[in-house]
Amino acid sequence: MDRIAFLLLLSFCWLANSLSAQEKAYTHTTFKDRRVINTQSVETLGKRRLDVRISHRFGDFAGDNGGWPTLYGLENASDILIGAEYGLTNSIDVGLFRTKGAGAMPDGTSGLRQLINGTAKWRIFRQTADGSMPFTITAVGLATLSTAKKAESNESSLNSFPTFAHRMAYNGQLLIARKFSPGFSLQLGPGYTYRNLVPFGDENGIFSLSGAARIQLTKVFGIVADVTVPFSERRLDNEQGFYIPWGIGLEIETGGHVFQVNFTNATAIMETDYIPYTTADWGDGAFRLGFTISRIFNL
Amino acid sequence: MQKGIFFLLIAVFSIALSWYEPPAALMQEELLVAEVLEQLGEAPLPHKPDTSLAGVSVAKGRDLVKRGSPGGPGGMVSPHFTCLACHNVERDEPTLSFDNPQERLEYVAEKDLPFLPGTALYGAVNRTRFYNGDYEKKYGDLVKNARHSLRESIQLCAIECSQGRPLDAVEMESVLAYLWTIGLKIDDLALDKTAQERIEAALAGQGDPEAAIRLIKSRYATAAPATFVEPPKDRKEGYPVAEADAANGRLIYENSCLHCHENKRYAFFRLDKSRFSHRQLKKHIPRYTRYSIYQVIRYGTSPVPGKRSYMPNYTMEKLTHQMVEDLRAYIELRAGGGTPGEKEKGI
Repeated sequence: MDRIAFLLLLSFCWLANSLSAQEKAYTHTTFKDRRVINTQSVETLGKRRLDVRISHRFGDFAGDNGGWPTLYGLENASDILIGAEYGLTNSIDVGLFRTKGAGAMPDGTSGLRQLINGTAKWRIFRQTADGSMPFTITAVGLATLSTAKKAESNESSLNSFPTFAHRMAYNGQLLIARKFSPGFSLQLGPGYTYRNLVPFGDENGIFSLSGAARIQLTKVFGIVADVTVPFSERRLDNEQGFYIPWGIGLEIETGGHVFQVNFTNATAIMETDYIPYTTADWGDGAFRLGFTISRIFNL
Repeated sequence: MQKGIFFLLIAVFSIALSWYEPPAALMQEELLVAEVLEQLGEAPLPHKPDTSLAGVSVAKGRDLVKRGSPGGPGGMVSPHFTCLACHNVERDEPTLSFDNPQERLEYVAEKDLPFLPGTALYGAVNRTRFYNGDYEKKYGDLVKNARHSLRESIQLCAIECSQGRPLDAVEMESVLAYLWTIGLKIDDLALDKTAQERIEAALAGQGDPEAAIRLIKSRYATAAPATFVEPPKDRKEGYPVAEADAANGRLIYENSCLHCHENKRYAFFRLDKSRFSHRQLKKHIPRYTRYSIYQVIRYGTSPVPGKRSYMPNYTMEKLTHQMVEDLRAYIELRAGGGTPGEKEKGI
């Protein structure tokens, strides 16, 4: 009942915000892209726009698996995302992405692989220039399907997929952001990740809180950073081999698009992968270079 | 007795009122100029909509002009632009003569309208020549058919200017039907009493219709001139003007540049009111790049492959050299942290 009341309240607030939308001047470009580094941002694409994206995470920069033998990770690919996102309205995007899948447990057991990720994003409220709405609030949903071949002979493996549903994992976030000035934006994002099938002894559901910030240095250059803290006793204990995924990046805005170079200890790209499975430690040099190529088309 | 007289007076007054007729206005202010000209014997303009075509409507035309789509099922004419990117549908000229961009800027700023590179669609049906002057340099032979035909010029605009698709017959006639609703009105001509009386007399068959037609046509231009000009020879020095007015430059920046570039409404290059934008623009002013205001204002930009929207150039009739220097002064002032009004402080 409480949930219904909450949803009704949310719908009412959204409707009120939408009805008065034409009279308001909104704050634009809280973030320049729809992803910060690992986390989603509150931004949406805009109606009839198609964003074709390729994201890449190289191998470890240093440490046991990096350094000169792998040209500081450039000769490895931890994870690769290829896909597209489309703006159904100015506030609603849907996307479909393929990722390799890169997460792993501390003992080396791999997470789900060969992933198809469906995303949906709804910007519920927009920060207004007059301060009547101080935040932009966006809901993001992600459903991940592993298309890996079923491992018939290994029941302890995640790839054993006892049922089709075991191929699935989900993530939902509510992103709340504010652009404090043209030079500074901040975002918080409570979220929940649920994996239908997990390694023995692991937990299916994980609450998390992400934080992201953008500092604009010049019209062209900006610095972005993000972190996602999983509220899981096991994942907050480095002794158990898990580490908090965080990243820092340099944004370069050219006339046509925003190019970003980043470093992160997350090996995976999608939330269902990097939130439960980040086991790489910045301190060990296990961080990697990443970049995204994004091209937006008006359709 | 007194009550009876009172009711009698009321009755007499009511009867008197019912007999009274106000003097008939021969020419109402909302009357379309084109209709008055026709009544005076002028040949009908060739771009009247063919409303016999099934599906033609003003509403559809309005949707096409304002939203870029015919409404209901039907694709966008252009994924990049609507007509409103470059043209106002409200009157945006104080004199209807297209020869004073500074007056036009002040007029649109007062009316809270954008200051755009295209001539207003308001009154487009009253024009007889389109894509005038140097537009031949840009579009070559494509302007030959468009110059004397509003239909052809709309089609050229849909395909080339907006980088979209051609309009079908119903869409074209609907756009024309809408444009006729925003044709010039008699009120727009600001006629004095003597002029009105001369025209009214001609309409009543008691004056010279030819003279009345000439009088009406003298109050608006039937073609908007277009002169392409070069950036200044020395971009560091800029155009030779006596003094630049940053406050005027602010009007241009906010009513023109931001119309397309704010939040990438129509453009790839994002601009806003922050110092980041002004510093970036200032840095590029003397350069030979597409980020130099001299370059993009006078030459425009070309479509990016795969992403075919672009920036049109501003003709001399839409932005004078003085106004470009005003814009530069505003950008440089803002890049240094100042605001117009502080110019005298030497910021």
